[in-house]
Amino acid sequence: MGLRLACLALAAGWAVAFESPAPRLLWAGPEVTLLGGPSRDGRYLSYVDPATRNLAIRETGSGRSRMVTRKAPASEEFAYFSAMSPDSRRVAYAWFNEQGFYDLRVIDVDGSSPRILYRNEEAGFVQPCAWSPDSKFILTLLFRTDNISQIVLVPAEGGPPKILRSLNWVYPKRMDISPDGRFIVYDSFADEASGDRTIYLLSVDGASERRLVSLPGSHLFPLWMPDGKRIVYASERAGTMDAWELEIEDGEPRGAPRLVRRDLGRFLPLGITAAGELVFGLRSGEVDVFVTTLETPARHAHRVTQRFPGRNTAPAWSPDGQAIAYLSRRGSENFGQESRAIVIRRLDSDDERELLPKLAHLERVRWSPDGKSLLVSGSDNQGRGGLYLVDSGTAAVRALVSEAGASFRGFEGVFSSDGRSVFYLHRDAGLRRRELTTGKEATLYPDKRFRHLVVSPDGKLLAAGLENTGIALLPTAGGEPRIIPFRGLTELEWGRELVAARGTELWRIPLDGAPPAKLESPGNRAAGLSLHPDGRRIALTAGNVKSEIWALPLR
Amino acid sequence: MKFWALLLPVALAGADKLVIPAGLDAYLPVPDGNPITREKVELGKKLFFDTRLSRDHSVSCATCHVPKLAFTDDRPLSVGVAGRLGNRRVPRIINRGYGKSFFWDGRAATLEEQVLEPVQNPKEMDMTLEEAAARTGLSIQAIQQALASYVRTILSGDSPYDRYLLGDLNALTEPQRAGLRLFRGRAGCTACHLGPNLTDERFHNTGIGAPGEEGRMAATGRAHDRGAFKTPSLREAARTPPYMHDGSLESLEEVIEFYDRGGRPNAALDAEIRELKLTAVEKAAIVRFLGALSGTVRDGM
Repeated sequence: MGLRLACLALAAGWAVAFESPAPRLLWAGPEVTLLGGPSRDGRYLSYVDPATRNLAIRETGSGRSRMVTRKAPASEEFAYFSAMSPDSRRVAYAWFNEQGFYDLRVIDVDGSSPRILYRNEEAGFVQPCAWSPDSKFILTLLFRTDNISQIVLVPAEGGPPKILRSLNWVYPKRMDISPDGRFIVYDSFADEASGDRTIYLLSVDGASERRLVSLPGSHLFPLWMPDGKRIVYASERAGTMDAWELEIEDGEPRGAPRLVRRDLGRFLPLGITAAGELVFGLRSGEVDVFVTTLETPARHAHRVTQRFPGRNTAPAWSPDGQAIAYLSRRGSENFGQESRAIVIRRLDSDDERELLPKLAHLERVRWSPDGKSLLVSGSDNQGRGGLYLVDSGTAAVRALVSEAGASFRGFEGVFSSDGRSVFYLHRDAGLRRRELTTGKEATLYPDKRFRHLVVSPDGKLLAAGLENTGIALLPTAGGEPRIIPFRGLTELEWGRELVAARGTELWRIPLDGAPPAKLESPGNRAAGLSLHPDGRRIALTAGNVKSEIWALPLR
Repeated sequence: MKFWALLLPVALAGADKLVIPAGLDAYLPVPDGNPITREKVELGKKLFFDTRLSRDHSVSCATCHVPKLAFTDDRPLSVGVAGRLGNRRVPRIINRGYGKSFFWDGRAATLEEQVLEPVQNPKEMDMTLEEAAARTGLSIQAIQQALASYVRTILSGDSPYDRYLLGDLNALTEPQRAGLRLFRGRAGCTACHLGPNLTDERFHNTGIGAPGEEGRMAATGRAHDRGAFKTPSLREAARTPPYMHDGSLESLEEVIEFYDRGGRPNAALDAEIRELKLTAVEKAAIVRFLGALSGTVRDGM
């Protein structure tokens, strides 16, 4: 049993006696992913096989698994969210296609009869959440390129989706349809200014919608009980992530929410079986920011801070090497004002200062050469992804590039060595340069496949990963790129030398034509790497997050 | 893929159903105090066309909000009783049931609040509510609720763009698709024109209008709202010139040129408005895409 669950009885004391029975572990191991859910009879779990990224089915009793989709090994396509039909014979799933967006597909569990139910680049992210009780519709979340999320019913035999409700860019984390097929529950922000989620009930015929939970705190991941008389959801109202339930009668809440089980940890409800078991995913372990040396990263690593352990990522050394900036998550949300802070830690004094820029998502930061501002990839409070300048003293935000169609992660960007312009990767326009004072822009290299952009210390070269090929060296003044073969690139950093990451591995990339040289592995490294100006120290994000699947009997 | 069931019937009070055109939400927000009923909608429609609601019996709501013109007219500024000229372009009142505020400056928070203002506006119908009630033999509340209910049923959808989004990839021509890519990409139109109704329901200063015009500031009192006006829906726009809150641009081509230049510079110009440097081909593609936003306009039950 996971640490949090093991501590449950001790922490909760007598209250446990009145809660649901203890959860039982269904599945643990490196192959566990939390992108599917249980069948109604509880005999199967749909999931994504992490090795092949195929849709797979696991028999919960025997532990046997089998692939449902069969993608070509070299293909960039993969399966994502899935939901099993009520009779356990079909699976609806999201499929990242060869064109770079997600289809909604359905397939028989034996791998036969795959078909596309919805495919449209304008709604390029789809998440099947549940089937209607009569198996005629799949309750699906569409996320459109204009940053609108939509709750839709997609006919399981094909046909246009029925749009039930359009929401803003903060899409529901979970939706479910009632056993009588009349109501949908979903979570969304309590109001536009709030970072807290709450639960809403929407009638399938469109006639009504109402907020079900009006208590403070965040309430999310709602699911219907098989009897249709209650919903179960996760709540942070007591400071821990607990399971709660609320009685519903004819679309109306009855009474106050009741605690089902306290402190389940970072749990993710996946489904409720006909027998009344809540099947949920549990994430354990953590990642954090560490400082170590490039030559012996595993031996000399220490946490950069003791504050908010497990919530810190994306370090960046200041140009003078005296400070380090990193992102620190607050609360459970990945989005919303103040969901992440930029922390600037002085290495000489260990003082820490927090910046809370008015942005909804922060993905990564890069210092300006003069240290006065930070270049932030992320999105604003209307969900528009882009690049933003954040004053390192006041946290004031200035949008450099901000587009509704861009990913919430924003664009990757770096300062030029003189700090007068930024280079960035635009999804539709390739590698661009933007002058900071005039706002003038120009495309340097129109190739849209570049990833992981960095600039050389002398400012004469840019480097970027070129999809499955290698590392492109690109003169900032323009000219022919030079390609250094390197497959599987996951990150680049350019300090005194060019360093590449391939998953957890670190590699030194010589510019003189010599082959890349593997460095000592720092262990469980995650994305987020910065080289100190001394060329010796590095800051990196490292750790290990495990996923498990549990079942909690509900009374 | 077969395109049956593109019209979505939505259950209302009693046994009535309101038909929602494809592309719009099945959920149409309706205040608890004014549920939509067939009786109210039918009464509201009669009132909408009733000239008794104007001082000299010369205009009704439908005089300016002409059904065949997507519930607007073709003049730059509204014209009310005795030929009195209004201050602003008559807005298309399609899909306003999904709206969050009403009038170009958003001064009305609900449709119920909105529908009574033109009746009382001296430049429009120039009546008191008491006079309107006496002439129609209805209570003020009955007039208000019926008009608001009817306006909620004025819906535009089922356009080629809607069909495209719903999965009919042949619903848009290639130039229209190119226009769509620009619309949500480099031209940045979706910064304001987004969602099923192609509006963010917010207020922006594009520089259009007379210098110093208050715009949203008239409703909020906030100086930084000066010159900001509500983003209109783009549905049915292609067939309903002229454009902007003052009707000053005669064609979609002029509108695109205006935004391509970066709007009209002023101290409060919205951050979203900037020079675009679109080519002539790109501008034409956006205009073609805007033509794909015209579909079926329905009203009543």
